[in-house]
Amino acid sequence: MRRIFGIVLAVLLIGGVAAALIAGREKDKGTATTTVRGVIGSEKAEFFADPDVVKALADKGFTVKTETSGSWAMENLPLKGYDFAFPSSESPAVELARKAGVKGTPQRPFYSPLVVVAHRNAAEVLAGNGLATLTGKNTGTLRMGAYLEAAERDRTWQRLKGAEKYSELNGVVSITSTDPAQSNSGALYLAAASYVANGGRIVADDADLARTAPLMKKLISVQGAQQSSSDAPFRDFISGAANPLVLVYESQVASLLMQRQDVGDMVVLYPDVTVNSDHTLVPLTPEGRRLGELLSGDKKLRELAVRHGFRPQGAASEFTAATASHTAYLNQRLTGVRQAPVPRAGVLRDLARRATSQ
Amino acid sequence: MIPPPRGVPRRALMALGLAAVLPVSACTSEDGGDHRNKGGRRAPGTLRVLASSELTDMKPVLDAAREATGVTVEATWSGTLDAVEAVASGKADGAYEAIWLSSNDYLRLRPEAAGKITSETPVMTSPVALGVTSGAVRRLGWDPEQVTWARIHQAVADGKLTYGMTDPVRSNSGFSALVSIASGLSGAQSALRDSDVRRVAPKLKRFFAGQRLTSGSSGWLAQAYARRGDVDALINYESVLLSLNRDHHTGLTVIRPRDGVVTADYPLTALASAPQDARDEVRALAGYLRSPKAQRTLTGRTFRRPVVVSVRPAAPLSAAKRRELPFPGSRSVADGLLAAYENELRRPSRTVYVLDTSGSMEGDRLDRLKAALTRLAGADGSPTGERFRDREEVTLMPFGSRVKAVRTHTVPEDGPGAALAAIRADAEALTADGETAIFSSLQEAYRHLARRASALGDDRFTSIVLMTDGENTAGASADDFDAFYRRLPAPQRTTPVFPIVFGDSDRGELESIASLTGGRLFDATKGSLDEAFEEIRGYQ
Repeated sequence: MRRIFGIVLAVLLIGGVAAALIAGREKDKGTATTTVRGVIGSEKAEFFADPDVVKALADKGFTVKTETSGSWAMENLPLKGYDFAFPSSESPAVELARKAGVKGTPQRPFYSPLVVVAHRNAAEVLAGNGLATLTGKNTGTLRMGAYLEAAERDRTWQRLKGAEKYSELNGVVSITSTDPAQSNSGALYLAAASYVANGGRIVADDADLARTAPLMKKLISVQGAQQSSSDAPFRDFISGAANPLVLVYESQVASLLMQRQDVGDMVVLYPDVTVNSDHTLVPLTPEGRRLGELLSGDKKLRELAVRHGFRPQGAASEFTAATASHTAYLNQRLTGVRQAPVPRAGVLRDLARRATSQ
Repeated sequence: MIPPPRGVPRRALMALGLAAVLPVSACTSEDGGDHRNKGGRRAPGTLRVLASSELTDMKPVLDAAREATGVTVEATWSGTLDAVEAVASGKADGAYEAIWLSSNDYLRLRPEAAGKITSETPVMTSPVALGVTSGAVRRLGWDPEQVTWARIHQAVADGKLTYGMTDPVRSNSGFSALVSIASGLSGAQSALRDSDVRRVAPKLKRFFAGQRLTSGSSGWLAQAYARRGDVDALINYESVLLSLNRDHHTGLTVIRPRDGVVTADYPLTALASAPQDARDEVRALAGYLRSPKAQRTLTGRTFRRPVVVSVRPAAPLSAAKRRELPFPGSRSVADGLLAAYENELRRPSRTVYVLDTSGSMEGDRLDRLKAALTRLAGADGSPTGERFRDREEVTLMPFGSRVKAVRTHTVPEDGPGAALAAIRADAEALTADGETAIFSSLQEAYRHLARRASALGDDRFTSIVLMTDGENTAGASADDFDAFYRRLPAPQRTTPVFPIVFGDSDRGELESIASLTGGRLFDATKGSLDEAFEEIRGYQ
């Protein structure tokens, strides 16, 4: 009896010591993590809020606190107190880095192409009228040349064959984007569209600007008020309160698919000329820089980025493997999709300013 | 009783110079924001949020959010456009940590607002729809799924449909309705332009002739609708209409017109001026509101549409797709639409100001009354919604022991300056003496309105504003007035009295008047008379 009691006591003690050790280690870890603060594009908010990401970062000694902003709107924010800014492409990152006096190469841990989401009705009508090609039940290609021509001529849904069955398909055929003056996805929309409108050449000088600006202005002005960050139009689309065509990042869709969420009759259209959004981290402090290196280099974090729908830079196979069961929606290898080069920041800004001017 | 409970936020708001604010106390804060008295700082864990008034129904969700995140929301309710003004002008900085409006679209039209907001997280959506009584749906032979704005317009123009709608100058649901109707009727295939608005003006004018109820807030509109019983339809958020059906068994058929709707998406938004820890709390709260649990609760309890794919919209929400009509992309279109509504399109108003100029008003109180009236009769170029409207008929009826004068002015569309100057001169000439004959004077106001209506045979929104600084001391009694009101012909009984609590007036007495006549009480004891007068504009 006494012996049994002793054993129980010993077990309890050992357990207690073990518990104390674990608690101690966790406590040590807690005090050892460095808190870094950053302003990020809204499409990365869920990545940083994911408990597994929080844990993976904590394992490497980081607690990351984020706020969201349109990528081009970041430079309006007071950047004091932030350790990093993480806009959704290189252009605003270069500007921010210049403004903050940051030297060295910014980190580009992952990227995501721009896509257009639609409901099945709208996608089928586009396909039936030569504006898109459906390559699967829920995926296809948007023909940018044909789309821009339709936009140029103020083509309405009512004029498209097969649209009459669907009351939600009326008004000018247009893609909803974010505000190109504030948000990256909107600016990249203009980058891709202006490249096509300029005859497959990057908009580089005043003559190019003058040639393409009127159509760009039309693409923006038909939309009316625009949101300033890419999360909102996607949410509106999900809740059924949106224009039939909405420009989003592939990652926003891929992330839902990988969470095994039912995206219903959503069709993902890859513009045949598109632009990749290179999520680019601008370090504002040494801690911010270390975080950037970690996001690029750490295997676990790269895996988690894939889970949120991003394509890790230089590790295509990681994305292809993880999305193998979602090829009904995703064009894993971006077959038939061309990358348009992005105009210099100054030119892109000019284009956005002209497109949004009233 | 109509007036909501009053809380400290009202005072702070008055200090901000916000007008159309529903002075409801915080949704989830029990201690009513005592910190305001401690130098305007927030208590950690408490977010001061400037929010759209229809979000009062989010209390259960916000209570659960507090449990889950430790973040308490202390809300100050406001009309969307007034809130936008507070943010754009910088008055919201330091007074609030976040805003939660039906939409940030109008805010984005203000270039000054760039850089003032961050972390916008849409939480849920609700389109502005038309709720129609089942009787009217049958009478019109409508198939609700097929109804377009053009058909609604036709029914109204034919005199077969009347409706209530909020004031677009103050409330987002009214503004969204205005954008929807203008888009639907103009045949605009993309975002509205100035030329669309001009082209469609005559049609819009016929449409607004059918508007029977106006209001500064979506909530009061629903109550006024339930009270009236003789109005066929209500333009409001789908969520408000479905909640009315649930809570008041109104049996409204909710129609989202087939040619498109404008939808509110309720982005919870941090102010860039808020301290870091507060912005972290906004993020935590937004994260919670996006969780499937919160999304299930909010769609189930408030009939708004979820923004996450894993949660299905609650049962009464139709799955049929609708086009989302673009919101104007330029301030000139938005403001042009508002100015046209105010000064050209809506039914004009006939308003009697029953003004206590008894002896107790002498001095500072009378000066404040004069200042408030002078402001309403402001200059020709005052911004939309801040002065008497073009075509409005304004009667000043100062009283003491009896009505002292009846001064009526109509503000003409062409050159309103002279009429406004005459109103200012009348206000300046007010003098204080005599007893306080509240009820006799109100009776006189009703008689005056009857005479005007029968003499001119015109069709106007009529209302009475009662400003008094004391109790009734002369003339008819409350009971007399009660009996007088009940004997009025039915059309006259639809004229509400909007009493203003001021000085030493008897709140109970004034509440009874508001409740009897279907008006609403306004409080100027904590803020200024100016702001109470301006807030009432939304109801006139």
